[in-house]
Amino acid sequence: MREQRGLSQGQLAEALGVSRQTINSIETERYTPSLPLAMALARFFRQAVEEVFDADGTG
Amino acid sequence: MSSERQPEAQRPSGHRDWWTTKWVVPVFSVLLGLVEWVAFAVGGDARAGAIGFFITAAFGALLLLGGRSESIRGMRGDGRDERWAMIDLRATALAGFAVIVAVIVGFIVEVGRGRSGNPYVWLGALAGFTYLIALLIGRWRT
Repeated sequence: MREQRGLSQGQLAEALGVSRQTINSIETERYTPSLPLAMALARFFRQAVEEVFDADGTG
Repeated sequence: MSSERQPEAQRPSGHRDWWTTKWVVPVFSVLLGLVEWVAFAVGGDARAGAIGFFITAAFGALLLLGGRSESIRGMRGDGRDERWAMIDLRATALAGFAVIVAVIVGFIVEVGRGRSGNPYVWLGALAGFTYLIALLIGRWRT
């Protein structure tokens, strides 16, 4: 989803106020974001949280 | 009091808590080193204090001059987000567990040698009391 919009991990991280490592960890499913961050991600991509993350809670 | 960085959409523009600036941990390191130096000097070994000061000051300098390393920024405070807060919490818990184990072992060894067990008794009591208070506060607040 991020790549489709031509964004780097750093750019997405900057937009959301987190580190690039955090974005990377979310994408590689090593870290599950908190509800506020998950909602911020969904809001950023203008998608529902369920569409941003899989049903099992991973990205 | 939280050191987590909120997502950009929820964070007030320009707001940064004072403890999340890049200066806090380095300055604390230098001050701690100074206190250590004075303590050693009072105890009659200023040279050892100086060595300790330079070690902690060097650590503070490393954090301050660590550039854009995300790991350095995470330890320093200004690069912390919720993931770093989680990492820090787990690392602190593990360190606390290690110290508690050392205190228990120290107490057992001291008592086994026929001594009073001090200061391990008081350290263990402090740890246990702090843990209980933290549990009660956490239960009350959530």
